[in-house]
Amino acid sequence: MENTQDKIQYWKGLNDLNPSPEHEESKKKEFAEPIPLDAFVESIGLKKVSPRRDFLKSLGFGVGAATLAACSKAPVHKAIPYLIKPEEITPGVSNYYTSSFEGYSILVKTREGRPIKIEGNPACPISKGGVDAPGQASVLGLYDSGKLKVPMVQGANSTWSDLDSFVMEKLEGFKKNNQAIRIVSSSINSPSTKKAIGEFLNAYPNAKWIQYEPISYSAISQANKNSFDKEVIPSYHFENADIIVGVNADFLGSWLSPVEFTRQYTSKRAAKALESKKMSLHFQFETGMSLTGSNADYRFAIKPSLEGPVLLALYNEIAKLSGVSGIALGSKFELPQEAIQKTAKALVGAKGKSLVVCGSNDVSIQILTNAINSLLDNYGNTIDLVNYSLQKSSNDAEFMDMVKSMNQGNIQGIIFYGVNPVYDFGDSKTFQEGLKKVSLKVSLSDRLDETATLCDVIGPDQHFLEAWNDIQTKSNLMAIQQPTINPIFDSRTAQQNFLNWAYFSEHKMGTAVASTPVDSAASKTDSTKLSALPSAGKPMEYVDFLKSHWETSLFAQMGKSGNFVENWEELLRKGFIESPSQASSNIHFSKDLGPVAQTIEKNAENSAGNFEVQLYQSVAIRDGKYSNNPWLLELPDPVTKVTWDNFIAISLKSCHELKLKDGDMVTVEINGVKEIFPVLVQPGQAYGTGSIALGYGRTAVGKAGNLVGKNAYPLINLVNGSFQYHNKANLIPGASGYEFARTQDHDTIEGRSMTKETILTEYIKNPFAGSGRTDKEEEKADAWDEFPKKGHHWGMTIDLNACTGCGACIVACNAENNVAVVGKDEVHRRREMHWLRIDRYYSFNDESGAHTKESDLKDLDKKGLLDKMENVSVFYQPMLCQHCDHAPCETVCPVLATMHSSEGLNMQIYNRCFGTRYCANNCPYKVRRFNWFKYFDNDQFDYQMNDDLGKMVLNPDVTVRSRGVMEKCTFCVQRIQAGKLEAKIAGQPLEDGQVKTACQQTCPANAIVFGDINDHNSEVSKLLKNERTYYVLDELGVRPGIGYLTKVRNRELVFNEAKPESL
Amino acid sequence: MEHISYIREPLITGEGVTYSQITDEVLKPVEGPPTTKWLIGFAVSFAFFCIWCLAIGDTFWNGIGEWGLNKTVGWAWDITGFVWWVGIGHAGTLISAVLLLFRQNWRNSINRSAEAMTIFAVICAATYIFGHMGRPWLFYWIFPLPNTFGSLWVNFNSPLVWDAFAISTYFTVSLVFWYIGLIPDLASIRDRAKGISQKIYSIASFGWRGTAREWLRFEAVSLILAALATPLVLSVHSIVSSDFATSLIPGWHTTIFPPYFVAGAIFSGFGMVQTLLIIAREALNLKKYITIEHIETMNRILILTGSIVGVAYGTEFFIAWYSGSEYEQYHFFYTRAQGPYWWAWVMMISCNVITPQLLWIKKIRTSIMATWILSIFVNIGMWFERFVIIVLSLHRDFIPSSWAMFYPTMVDMGVFFGSIGLFMTMFLLFIKFAPSIAMAEVKLLLKNGSEQAKKLMHPEEGAHHGAKEGVIIAATTLGIKEKDHE
Repeated sequence: MENTQDKIQYWKGLNDLNPSPEHEESKKKEFAEPIPLDAFVESIGLKKVSPRRDFLKSLGFGVGAATLAACSKAPVHKAIPYLIKPEEITPGVSNYYTSSFEGYSILVKTREGRPIKIEGNPACPISKGGVDAPGQASVLGLYDSGKLKVPMVQGANSTWSDLDSFVMEKLEGFKKNNQAIRIVSSSINSPSTKKAIGEFLNAYPNAKWIQYEPISYSAISQANKNSFDKEVIPSYHFENADIIVGVNADFLGSWLSPVEFTRQYTSKRAAKALESKKMSLHFQFETGMSLTGSNADYRFAIKPSLEGPVLLALYNEIAKLSGVSGIALGSKFELPQEAIQKTAKALVGAKGKSLVVCGSNDVSIQILTNAINSLLDNYGNTIDLVNYSLQKSSNDAEFMDMVKSMNQGNIQGIIFYGVNPVYDFGDSKTFQEGLKKVSLKVSLSDRLDETATLCDVIGPDQHFLEAWNDIQTKSNLMAIQQPTINPIFDSRTAQQNFLNWAYFSEHKMGTAVASTPVDSAASKTDSTKLSALPSAGKPMEYVDFLKSHWETSLFAQMGKSGNFVENWEELLRKGFIESPSQASSNIHFSKDLGPVAQTIEKNAENSAGNFEVQLYQSVAIRDGKYSNNPWLLELPDPVTKVTWDNFIAISLKSCHELKLKDGDMVTVEINGVKEIFPVLVQPGQAYGTGSIALGYGRTAVGKAGNLVGKNAYPLINLVNGSFQYHNKANLIPGASGYEFARTQDHDTIEGRSMTKETILTEYIKNPFAGSGRTDKEEEKADAWDEFPKKGHHWGMTIDLNACTGCGACIVACNAENNVAVVGKDEVHRRREMHWLRIDRYYSFNDESGAHTKESDLKDLDKKGLLDKMENVSVFYQPMLCQHCDHAPCETVCPVLATMHSSEGLNMQIYNRCFGTRYCANNCPYKVRRFNWFKYFDNDQFDYQMNDDLGKMVLNPDVTVRSRGVMEKCTFCVQRIQAGKLEAKIAGQPLEDGQVKTACQQTCPANAIVFGDINDHNSEVSKLLKNERTYYVLDELGVRPGIGYLTKVRNRELVFNEAKPESL
Repeated sequence: MEHISYIREPLITGEGVTYSQITDEVLKPVEGPPTTKWLIGFAVSFAFFCIWCLAIGDTFWNGIGEWGLNKTVGWAWDITGFVWWVGIGHAGTLISAVLLLFRQNWRNSINRSAEAMTIFAVICAATYIFGHMGRPWLFYWIFPLPNTFGSLWVNFNSPLVWDAFAISTYFTVSLVFWYIGLIPDLASIRDRAKGISQKIYSIASFGWRGTAREWLRFEAVSLILAALATPLVLSVHSIVSSDFATSLIPGWHTTIFPPYFVAGAIFSGFGMVQTLLIIAREALNLKKYITIEHIETMNRILILTGSIVGVAYGTEFFIAWYSGSEYEQYHFFYTRAQGPYWWAWVMMISCNVITPQLLWIKKIRTSIMATWILSIFVNIGMWFERFVIIVLSLHRDFIPSSWAMFYPTMVDMGVFFGSIGLFMTMFLLFIKFAPSIAMAEVKLLLKNGSEQAKKLMHPEEGAHHGAKEGVIIAATTLGIKEKDHE
């Protein structure tokens, strides 16, 4: 069929039907009428005809511009300028504020209103300017995005006013029915917090306050109560002790107050003490190789159950030497008699100038320790019970009673403040069972931690850098904690909560008022509630409460009279206030030790076994409170150099007997509780023992810390209402092949000369002893021209006798220089980015001298030398860029990305580096670090630099390095520049000590000294002239800029003496 | 000018080979459709090439962290691969330039492939130079460039800068030399080709007509380029060795490196030539042109250079002992043979020093299979030599705390094995589109050998020919060319 449609012709006008020539013509044009384009173009001053060149120009420009514009996404910059500049803030200039952390005063460095670094407060009598690793890392905790952003009520996000209403309703109910309320807090030494809690306790007579610490020191205070009727922890003075004896007390690493003790300890051992040819003598009896034990002159490995028997034997030995009658002993233990005799002899020879400390949490052992110290006349000299310490105050028995009554259903309300017993209480299961019977569970934690997840109400606490508080570390010392930033999230301090709830109760308010000065809009919009409030007023702000407390009583208590405002400002400026210490009297122990000895022996027998496990705090993670801090997780353990993990450290001999090796998994069974840990063979570990670090294996702490390591708290032994950190155990071997992320896995020095040490007697005879130098300066052959050394020439010295190896410097360096955290896998691949590391070497303590070769460690079992591995010495050596004058890295860089500055610095120019890594290969010290990946904004490295909040901690003075470039220690060149500028503005020459590197600033041991070598009066110049000073790998002729001061051990044998001739 | 020889053995074997037969046979793979063998080979090579693309793409996208390197071992498979490929690239230039200058006519059958091998090996080496950089997009910073910031200069003290100049010069000269040698042969293909390929070959052959003047210039340019390339054979690997020798790492810091590396390079280069030519000879049916004579001669070079390398190893040990340097002694007497990588050292010694000594035996030297296996040993041994030098020296240097092991990742392996795929892909494409034997030069050899010698080699063939003993066939280069143009 034909399609008729195709044939139809349409026409649209008559012109189409009868086309005229004009119409035909007009059809060819686009527009019916001509558009006066030319006239228009001319009217705006352009040529009618576009020349070819112009066309090409426009075309070129157009294409070029379009291409360029398409090249990159236009970056969105979010910068908010100060509308009104705060008076004290100058952009680009840091402000420092005093505050305090864990018992000592600090300075907080802030930039443009955000705290970015913790510095030691040099005036603080506790720390004397030192800060430990957790202190350095604490600033990162402020920017932890894992914290709660708003309060939570019954599992849902809420507001503070709703939270207050909810809590108040319950609390009032309990009060009415006289049902028990408990506040469970960590050690509180803040006088104002105590007062705030006191207000709450006043308002609720049915409430009781319990202090709980997972790592308990309650035995010490209980023992002092028993011995001297003073329930306090004394102040220890290691700086007055010539003989120091530690029994499982890691006082340099984690015990009680490590920053304070490190300062005291090294003051008797470092350069200044040695100049007067004196040095303290340190004996350590311990189970695992602790940081303290690794620094001891004599270290004796004992099973943890022998802590008590060793002290008993020591007491008897001292008594014998002092002509006092000893204690009659019942049982026999296998004890290191020779060591005990030697120790006792030394102690008796230094009566009144010695100190015995024990880390046990057994009251009877602590009583015995008191008796020994009393026998040695140490009270009033090295132990001060008058100006006592308030650093730790907890009571195990009270807490365990509470758990009991909780399980009996006798407690209705519980408020957790700064504690996490679901995670860190030994019998967490019972605790959780009991918790279910509590009708109001309030957690004042800053995050949804293990305990908070089981609570009805979570009122996020503030970070210490956001909040006002005060602390009282010693009976005669108080320090202030001032906020350095507005609270980041909708948080409220615990103290404010206590004040509010007390106030509401007293004023019979069932509901809330405006809660905090920085309360979010959320609660303010809740206007119906606000207007419904009675006009009785508001609870006091905690800051006002704190101020009035200082005004009314604390200043007076500290012996400070006069104008409050002046005093207050001085306090803020100085950070702390110290009242003159009272004369400390010599107290004598006069109790009968018979029953004590019996208890000790009984406990020792009960916990003794073929294999015993000891639980300890690691230097970085401590009790687990800071487990979400990637800086701390990546800080290598000082002794084992393991990062991101805990493990069971076992001696080689035990491993051989149990057929275990490094990386085997083993099930540890204590009292029926089983936990699996990887095995790490540890030199120095006592035979038949295993040591496990607490604080790991968190499940609800945050993205960095969750499931790192295993939780060892369930293995805690609960004996007679106290926490005991050791017990006999069964080991059941399991799978093998676990790999640790260690930053060092070669532990011997191979007979090389980078570590130099001597013994005190040799040093006294010849100060050059062990340093490989003599009093004649040798002329060194040199293939290179000498650089002119004009102006400043920066240099450093590190006193190996002061350095304890704690690693605070590493974290300080990370914080100062924006060093990336790379995570466990990357550390395992030996790619940690730390600019500063601490090398650790072991050597055998035996007469044969240096046994430090890998080959010596082979087949120890066949040679029957497994015992040797228990008796080892440790050598720590901080290693960072040596800023060599003839740097081998500089000659090989093809693009001159690493060069020498006129001030003796070896500089790294990140912009110019394209990453051949030749410099790192050619560095004999292996201190250069390569950016294998992009470590920021990269989900593979989900730490602070992949987090908008976490990035707030970055130091704006230091570039964040991009992928593919080399980086390394710069001697904190930004601090040098800042110091020089400051001096220039002041019109003064730069003073020695005005510029301190971050590692030097934080070092609690004062081991690092930095300064201008060209200034002959500078401390560093003087130390470089010290007889002990030597340079590492001096024989290579690279002219390193860091002098190391030979380590001096106070003992008889010469170990590992550096041999001048090779092989 | 006449070459009269009673004893010279013919360099082209086979019966009644004519000039046109040479052209036909050599161009058969180029003109014909791809053979199954070629296709299989290409498919495998291309698969490896794809692996290389993935591995290098991953490296570029995510960073060098994809490799197994660490803070202690900053170079490993990357620079091992780089030096290995550069070494392989050495035989080509040696064969084409040095042997040309020395009038070693036997080279004519193998120089083309060897030169191509050089080019491709240097390309593979260059991929490692870019690939191993942290920020490869800035590679051009290695050259002194004019810039607006004042004197932003490169560090002429750094051997990496010397490397950049040495490798780029070597590559350029080798490429030009190779291409100029290709021109007459490309013209031959052009003359026989049709359609689009004729056009392409026409452009590629630069309008070569084969006039006497052109041949004269061709010869002159070849000689000049040979003279230019000859010092490069020595310089390139000397400079590559400086990457190590000028540093202070024990095991690197060694003055013997330049001659030792050059000998090693020639050794590995000839090893690779053997490996590839024996395959090509089989696959492309070129037995007439690549004879046992060639293989045996190259085996002799392998014995010589292998022994030089062996002596160099010994010298290192002697100097380590003699120097008294604790670190050197530890490295040579402990790390190498007893350290955790002892097996790499054993591989190096056995493949480079021990097995090549078997070539002293004539039977092995003239056995195709034995030669091929031994040549692969050489390739493996020379890879391990570089691995031993680079990784063993770095993984235990001065300060024991930083000592670390190197474990390669899948990406490391992908880049290395993939680079072999890259090389083979380029090589197979080359033998598909260009003559793998320099036809023009081989034709010179056709009447170069003595019939008497030929007869002595194959008495029955001689009888068949009916040639009498004592008949001398004289051939002159010029004479052959004249005949060739008939």
